[in-house]
Amino acid sequence: MMLRRLSRRTVLGAMSALTLLPGLAMATPATDFVGTFGAELTKILSSPEPLQKKQQEILPLLKKNVDIEAIGRYCLGRYWRVATPSQRERYLKLFDQVLLYAITMQVGNYQNVSLKITGNVPSPAGEKVDILISRPKQPDVTMTVVVEGPPSRVIDLYGEGASMRLTQRSDYTAYLSRHGDDVEALIKALEQQVAQNSARLAKGQP
Amino acid sequence: MARKACRKMHHKRGITSLRLVAGACALLTLSACGSWRKPPPKDPEALQDYKQANDPYEPVNRKMFAVNSWAYHKALRPVGRGWKKYVPGPIRHSVASVNETWREPSVFFSDVGAGKSRRAGDAFMRYLINMSAGVAGFIDVASMVGYKQHETDPGMVMSLWGVKSGPYIFLPFLGPSNFRDIAGYAISQGLTPINYVPRGYGLLSFNWGYNVLGTFNTFADSTDQLDELEHQSLDPYAYLRSAWQQSRQGQIDVLKSDHRATTPDWY
Repeated sequence: MMLRRLSRRTVLGAMSALTLLPGLAMATPATDFVGTFGAELTKILSSPEPLQKKQQEILPLLKKNVDIEAIGRYCLGRYWRVATPSQRERYLKLFDQVLLYAITMQVGNYQNVSLKITGNVPSPAGEKVDILISRPKQPDVTMTVVVEGPPSRVIDLYGEGASMRLTQRSDYTAYLSRHGDDVEALIKALEQQVAQNSARLAKGQP
Repeated sequence: MARKACRKMHHKRGITSLRLVAGACALLTLSACGSWRKPPPKDPEALQDYKQANDPYEPVNRKMFAVNSWAYHKALRPVGRGWKKYVPGPIRHSVASVNETWREPSVFFSDVGAGKSRRAGDAFMRYLINMSAGVAGFIDVASMVGYKQHETDPGMVMSLWGVKSGPYIFLPFLGPSNFRDIAGYAISQGLTPINYVPRGYGLLSFNWGYNVLGTFNTFADSTDQLDELEHQSLDPYAYLRSAWQQSRQGQIDVLKSDHRATTPDWY
C-alpha cells in the first residue's frame, strides 16, 4: 500500500516537474531581463501621468537597458573605421539623441499595454526574445528584442520582420555613399535632424 | 519586272531601314539601360553593401521614387489624411474587409501552391463566411469566429519553389517590389474574381470603386508610417528599400515555417 502510494506520489511529482520543464527551459537571463525591463516600461506607459512626463521618465530606463553605443557603431557600418575619434564621438552623441527621440515619440501609441514573452531563440547577434504587446482597442503587435550580454542589454529590435539597426545602417551607408563617403556630411545631416526634432518637440508635434 | 524589282528593292530597303531602326532602338535601349544601372563598386566592402541592397537599377528606381514622393505630397497625402479624418472608422473597416475578402481566392490558391493546407483552409473559410454571413465581405465575421486574415501571394509561393527574387524595383503607386513579386502580382490579379466582371455591367463601376477605395484605404492607413519614414531617415529611399526587403523575407519565412495542424484553433 505504502509502496503504491509512494509510487503514485512519485509519478504525480514527476509529472508536475515535467509540466514545469517548458517554463524552465524558456527562462534565460535574456528573457528575465526582457521581462523586468518590459514590466518597468509598461508601469510607466500605463501610469495616468501626462505624455511629456512619461517621455522624461522613460529616458533613464532606455539609457540603462539599451546599448545605444553598440547600435550606433553598427549603424555606421564600414564608415566607423574611417571616422576620426572626434567624428565618432560627435556621431555617437547625435545618434543617442536621434534614437531616444524616435523611441520616446512612440510612447503615445503604447498606452495601457500588456506585454507577454512568447518565445526565445539564440542567434549569432544575441538572444532573440519574441514579445506580444496587447493594446486596448488596437491590434496586437509582435516584436523581437535582441539581447546581448552580460550584462544584458538590448542591441536590436525587430518589427514586422525588419531589424531596426540594419534598416538604419542601410539609411546611413546609402546617405554616405551618395555624399562622397564623407562622415562629416552625415554628422551635419544628423545635427539638422536633431534640430528639427527639438523644434517639433517644442511645438508639441510628434 | 523593273517595277517588281523596284518593289523588291524597296521592300528590301524597307526591311534594311526597319532593321536599322530596330538596331538603333536596341542600342538606345541598351545605352539607356546602361545609364539605368548602377555599376558595382570596386571596393570589397562597398561591393558587399551593393550586393546586399540588390538594387542594380537604383538610378531609375530613385527617379520612380521621386515621382511617387511628388504625387504623395501633392495629392495622395492630403486626400489620404482627409479620408482617415472624415470617413467613420466602421466604414473604413468595411472597405478594408471587402478588399481582403475579395482577394481571398488568390490567397487560397497561393496557400495551395505553397502546400500549406491549414492556411488554405483558413482562406477558404474566410471567403465562404464573409461572402455569406459577412454580407459580401462588408463585415469580417470570419475573424470573429477564429479565422484570422493572413497574407499569402504568388510571389511568396514562387520563393518557396526556389525562384530567385531578381533585382529590387520601385514602381510608382505600386511601391517597392522585385522582378519575382511583380510577376506574382500579375498572377494574383488573374486569381482575383472581381477582375473578371464583364464590360457593360453595373458591377464594373463597383469593380473600379472596389479597387480604388481598397487601395486608398490601405494607403490612408500608411500615411503615418510614410510621414515617420520621411522624418526619421536621411535617405528615405534606402530606408524603405531595406525595411521592405527584410519584411518581405520575414513574410516568406513565416509561410515556410507554418507547420500548423489542419484543425483550426477553436476546434
